[in-house]
Amino acid sequence: MADEQVPEVQAPPRPPQHPTYPWPEKSRLLGTRISRIDGPQKVTGRAKYSYDITRPGMIYGRILRSPHAHARLTSIDASAAEKAPGVKAVLLTIKPGDKVLYPGEEIGVLAAATEQQAADALRLIRVEWEVLPPLATVEQSMRPEAPQVFTPANTRRGTAQEDGDPAAGFKAAAFTVEATYSTQVQTHTSLETHGCVCEWNGDNLTAWVSTQAVHGTRDGFAQGLKIPQANVRVITEYMGGGFGSKFGPDIQGLLCARIAKAAGAPVKMMLDRKEEHLATGNRPSAFARVKAGVAADGKLTAFEAQTWGTGGAGAGSDYPLPYIYVFPNRRRAHTDVYINSGQQRAMRAPGHPQGCFVTEVLMDELADQVRMDPMEFRLKNLPALAPNAMWAKYFPMGAERINWQGRHVTGDPTPGPIKRGLGCSANRWGGAGTGARAHCEISSDGSVVMRCGTQDIGTANRTIMAIVVAETLGLEVPQVTIELGDSNQPFAPGSGGSTTAAAVMPAMRVTAGKARDALFERIAPQLGVTAKEIQIGVGNVIAGGKTISWREACKMLGTIPVSVDGAWERGLSAGGTSGVQFAEVEVDIETGITRVKKIVCVQDCGLIVDLKTAETQCYGGIISGLNYAVFEERILDRNTANMVNPNMEWYHMAGQSDIPEIDVVLVDQPERGVIGIGEPPAVATAAAIANAIRNATGVTLRHIPITPDKLLTELERAGGTN
Amino acid sequence: MQDDEKDVSRRDFFKTVGVGSIATAVVAGVTDASAQGPAAVGPEEVPITLTINGQRHQLRVEPRVTLLDAMRTRLDITGQKRVCDRGACGACTVIIDGRTYYSCSMLALEAQGRNIRTVDGLATGNALHPVQQAFCDLDGLMCGFCTPGFVMATVALLEKTPNPTAEQAKRGLDGNLCRCGTNIGVLKAALAVKGVTRG
Repeated sequence: MADEQVPEVQAPPRPPQHPTYPWPEKSRLLGTRISRIDGPQKVTGRAKYSYDITRPGMIYGRILRSPHAHARLTSIDASAAEKAPGVKAVLLTIKPGDKVLYPGEEIGVLAAATEQQAADALRLIRVEWEVLPPLATVEQSMRPEAPQVFTPANTRRGTAQEDGDPAAGFKAAAFTVEATYSTQVQTHTSLETHGCVCEWNGDNLTAWVSTQAVHGTRDGFAQGLKIPQANVRVITEYMGGGFGSKFGPDIQGLLCARIAKAAGAPVKMMLDRKEEHLATGNRPSAFARVKAGVAADGKLTAFEAQTWGTGGAGAGSDYPLPYIYVFPNRRRAHTDVYINSGQQRAMRAPGHPQGCFVTEVLMDELADQVRMDPMEFRLKNLPALAPNAMWAKYFPMGAERINWQGRHVTGDPTPGPIKRGLGCSANRWGGAGTGARAHCEISSDGSVVMRCGTQDIGTANRTIMAIVVAETLGLEVPQVTIELGDSNQPFAPGSGGSTTAAAVMPAMRVTAGKARDALFERIAPQLGVTAKEIQIGVGNVIAGGKTISWREACKMLGTIPVSVDGAWERGLSAGGTSGVQFAEVEVDIETGITRVKKIVCVQDCGLIVDLKTAETQCYGGIISGLNYAVFEERILDRNTANMVNPNMEWYHMAGQSDIPEIDVVLVDQPERGVIGIGEPPAVATAAAIANAIRNATGVTLRHIPITPDKLLTELERAGGTN
Repeated sequence: MQDDEKDVSRRDFFKTVGVGSIATAVVAGVTDASAQGPAAVGPEEVPITLTINGQRHQLRVEPRVTLLDAMRTRLDITGQKRVCDRGACGACTVIIDGRTYYSCSMLALEAQGRNIRTVDGLATGNALHPVQQAFCDLDGLMCGFCTPGFVMATVALLEKTPNPTAEQAKRGLDGNLCRCGTNIGVLKAALAVKGVTRG
């Protein structure tokens, strides 16, 4: 039963693999600190993102969107827009009688010579609506008397799970906690908004798209436009963040392609910040009404939860619960609630921050019931140690670095308004990947080019690819050219679920290894040895005791380069990571302002390819967790369901002064192969901060973001400030 | 109060300094205009001259076009990014006559006759500016979309305060936002660079 709770934790270890090109036992570059190879391009502004692409004759597209959350179109007239200065084409995708279900829903598109002309023309389209009552909150949607907005209903019963005997579990409990927890909707807020430049050449489309999946987006264009995949090329050389929201052309990409065709000119269409907040995805909210039991000895006995949440207009909201800890008897039923807002999309570790927050805050409340130290309490209820379940080892490591033994019990007894506290939490993630292919060329001047249709969304994929190739060929990183971000290159999967490193690094190792072998075969006769007698050195090859420089060896190739294909193979990467985080906070109980002082992160990700950029991944995940804990929230007007903060000044995110000290300990597990690290560090931060705030103030904040108003309200309810 | 001074948040900072600076810029523009008598321009395109990274550019823009959009869409100077387009995130940060401005919140017209510096003009050939080099060495970037703004804000900070304390560096960078979470590397870079002189 426990293996259903956390399947990957209890999964049997993979049978030993014998890859053709195993990772080196002693590595020269892997696991060292190497700077990203595209750093100079990015810090000079020379890196051209989709947003920066200009094509000859290019014009600008802009989408017409619904201003209403729920409405029926009564009439639409674009004739004035068609005649407006600079306008080249107008397309409407809605007709009278059609309904819209969220603010920002796409209803048309136009293209004009300048952005200003496109915006002006858009305002000339006369649209009349019958405005219908919207559902702006889950509470409104779940009321029995709520208007039925969605078909077949405003809610959908989701996951129902039961394991063990909950009734017996609660009977065995010495204490129970009953409480309701919630997490907010957050939007991805990628700095480069969604969008693309589309250019037609006859029936062939080239699209520069801000995407996490060049091949998936190529296929999406082909399907959406009903043209062969072979007619579409998608290019994403640089990309300004996606966090799970950019896996296809989306509606705006298809509209851009269609309006470019209609206008007979290349069209750039990048969404503005408001459109980005409204219509390009978000993390669903989560609510959980929980009852949990613990025995007098501190062992968890039972868990029962009603959960719900909203992923917007017709999209799901499920998340894993309970998270990580072993509740032997449990029951849980989930309901998706639909409201009139933009649909959710995968967002940085989908579901996990929600499940982690609910479970980890509950764990601290249960620990207090049995008067145990929260970390000791966790250690008592963790699954058994396994390579992908190392929490029992990592908790004491993190505790030492945050000075956990100096922790006071719940509620800082220090007089005065500033209260300090510590909290902890744990995370898990998969991060396995497969399927990437690559092509490698070694030329007679010693050049090495590796081509792979993956993409670097900011994770340093390009850099770690070069590291693996350089390691395999005995070269330095700058000697390797990496070409990626083009659907004309060999297939690689989209970058989601932290799977890219685990998918692409094996393809790099195998393809570079094959290229090396092919090189040896080609030059062996000239060296008077067999290929088996040649080895890679550092910047050279060694043949029968003779050392020949890399350049000299490659020169022997003559005019025909080494040119080989390779692909991902089993045994070089894996899935299943674990980590823990600790937070130290300072709360001013007079103002309600929380300042996070320090985060300690102990995290594994299998074989570390580049320590420098892997640590940066952890910093980034933690900062996103900090935002989730205390800053960011999509706020909808409860009457109109319009977003009231679709910008970056009222949609709050941490600034430089809000960033705590962050102490990252990456645990290397070279024997497991490469595992992704993008998402795991983002999971546990919010829960650790919430628990630290509880430890500081003595009040439990069960709803994030923990803003000053919520904190002051809870302090007031608990009897004022000390 | 001392604590408040020191622990000012980004939003407080923005309220007091960021918006203030924009207001100042606008007021200054109005004052100049009134000194020469009111001259209505537009709405059609008008000729303007911008001096960007030491080069003079003559172009035609509608008066409503921002400095950021003029650079990006008319001159193909795309280093600074358009992200929030309303003075909140700092990705469009440029240095004008020695101090930082959000180029999304300044009209191209207003920037005439002034010395505009962007990230595109910072390096000398392939030799990176020390701040750019520090961002690379200390991994102060991920997707790179906020990076040009952070680089310019750091350059402006260090030209004014060559050896900042951590607190001064944080304050100097509080007008810029990053979504990937590169702030740890950014701060390390700002504190590592020594001997930046006025550009």
